Amino acid sequence: MSVNGDNTAGVGREGEIEVERVTKRFGDVTAVDDISITIPGGEFFSMLGPSGCGKTTTLRMIAGFETPDEGRILLQGAPVTHVPPAKRNVNMVFQAYGLFPHMTVSENIAFGPKIKKLSRTETSERLTEILRVVRLEGYEDRRPGQLSGGQQQRVALGRALINRPAALLLDEPLGALDLKLRKEMQLELKDLQQRTGTTFVYVTHDQEEAMTMSDRIAVMNGGVVEQLATPRELYQRPASAFVAGFIGTSNLIELRVDRRDDGLLVMDVGEGERILAVQPDSGAGAADRATITVRPEWIKLVSGDAGPRASHVGGTVIDVVYLGSVTQLIVLLRTGEKLTVHRLNDEVGSTDPRPGEQVTLHWAAEHSYVVGSSPQPDTTANDTEATARAGA
Amino acid sequence: MASVGEVLEIPKDPEGRRPKGSGTRQSRGALGILFAPITLLVLFFLLPLLIMVQMSVIRFPPLVSSGYTLSHYTEVLTNDLNPHIAWTTFTIATTAMAIMLVIALPLAYFMVFKAGKWELLLLLSLVLADELAPVVKVYAWQVILGRNGIFNWLIPGPPVEWLLYSRFAVILTLATTYITYTTIPIYAAMKAIEPSMFEAATDLGAGWWQQSRKILIPLAAPGIFVAMILVYIPMLTDFVTSDIVGGAGSYMMGQRVRDLILGQGDWGAGSALTFLLLAMSVVLSLIAYRLARLNRIDA
Repeated sequence: MSVNGDNTAGVGREGEIEVERVTKRFGDVTAVDDISITIPGGEFFSMLGPSGCGKTTTLRMIAGFETPDEGRILLQGAPVTHVPPAKRNVNMVFQAYGLFPHMTVSENIAFGPKIKKLSRTETSERLTEILRVVRLEGYEDRRPGQLSGGQQQRVALGRALINRPAALLLDEPLGALDLKLRKEMQLELKDLQQRTGTTFVYVTHDQEEAMTMSDRIAVMNGGVVEQLATPRELYQRPASAFVAGFIGTSNLIELRVDRRDDGLLVMDVGEGERILAVQPDSGAGAADRATITVRPEWIKLVSGDAGPRASHVGGTVIDVVYLGSVTQLIVLLRTGEKLTVHRLNDEVGSTDPRPGEQVTLHWAAEHSYVVGSSPQPDTTANDTEATARAGA
Repeated sequence: MASVGEVLEIPKDPEGRRPKGSGTRQSRGALGILFAPITLLVLFFLLPLLIMVQMSVIRFPPLVSSGYTLSHYTEVLTNDLNPHIAWTTFTIATTAMAIMLVIALPLAYFMVFKAGKWELLLLLSLVLADELAPVVKVYAWQVILGRNGIFNWLIPGPPVEWLLYSRFAVILTLATTYITYTTIPIYAAMKAIEPSMFEAATDLGAGWWQQSRKILIPLAAPGIFVAMILVYIPMLTDFVTSDIVGGAGSYMMGQRVRDLILGQGDWGAGSALTFLLLAMSVVLSLIAYRLARLNRIDA
């Protein structure tokens, strides 16, 4: 079975993409290492990770610009591993857009149908429809050089969508835009995806971007998928220290397991203070050391004991940064670890602690997850970066 | 030597206009900087040009009392030989230009998009190849193509006679002489093409031929026109090449002018012919310039 140019695929598998145990090497470097992903039709799917994690290579293999060394790729149930890009019913939006500067908006968008020799009426019907979908009516005769970044982006989207692809592949398409425009385009892309019902496979290194738009996200690192889940799951239940560090701001704590108590791992830090984590079902629970994570907004500043099922630890405030909706505190624990704490600024006139002040931190045991039995070296760097962005 | 003057003058045209708009504010400083080149241009280009124009309209012998005439022009235009020579020159220059474009386009494409780390080396070798004095290159072809030359020595059988002292030799020599000037402007134009355009075109179903026709050539067009200005016009006036490797069938305009002036001492006809060639060159470069501008991308 071959994939034909039109969107007349088998019912139920329309827009479905399967990546089956795919490996891709460039020389000695394994860019993608035995990954398997199934993307159901109509999903907004993101591949998120730092540069060099294999996300773009995976996307390019789906597009047909790279061929896997091992494994196969299926589109709507049919294997397309060795089918050239033009013969796959997918289209790609490139990071640099790749718009044709000597052609008008209309000529750019109608490029695909013209090449495929669609009839004049069909082409102009599609063009009219797409110009409306990407909101470029009135700009038909402009050239890319006369458009703003956001408009150029929409031309690139229109030029891909006019071919009615089973899936649209987007390679960091918002990277060239400024922050404000990027946020607008995120919502616009999500809206576009919902209106067209096309499968979107989106590659980005920006966790916030992925969280805003995606139905599901594959967090990738070193050529493998660390976790594939919904944005909510990724944030609340990160499967690894890497994911915890990459998605939002996260505190990673090295936990020495002093005792186990009622399904909890307990580290006693002296003077009745303790850090707790829920004991995982998997093997990590048996180790006497574990890395746990806790989100900054789950840590509360209170006085007195918060009960047996809450972490309870004292420390010194070393940094206070007002971020608008939240104030970020950096608290040095007596164990030598630094925790990032977010206090929600939901009251007028509330006062924040000052640097040097002693505080007591509480958080419910359920809010710390074991993400590994040993920390990964690069998560601290990601943590700092994430702290700077300080997402909600 | 007319060709040197034209090579100097022609690229001045597209270059010279650009700063016009922003020039007024810094005009005094600009004047200081431009003093030397303007003096050079006036002394060694404009003045000889004026002398040549005067020569073309003055009655001979050229004395103050001689008076002016257009007879040199009528003579040049009515001479039976000149249309024939013009046609030969046009055919040779056009064929050489076509050959150079056929080589330069893929070469420039390869350098920009495929050569990778070899790009600089290729560029350098192109420039170095041009560093060689033109006359030396022409003599080198004489050695290669001659009856007892390298080519005939390499191939078996009786020596091929038409290789040297022929139109073929002139075209081949011209094409190799000017290949650098053809390739570099096209290379520069292609350098500005975003490689993702080709991937996007591939993604949209365009094959290499469609990509060349719809994307590569239109975007390289300004470079192609510049290359034609730089190369075609000097070829029209070249006389060294045909002198050394040409034969009876490759007598060109440059040679004709030289022979009229230096051989027959006919300054009038020689100057008139030169002026006509120059006028034609200006028209050609204006056309090419116009075409290049039409294709320029609005930034």
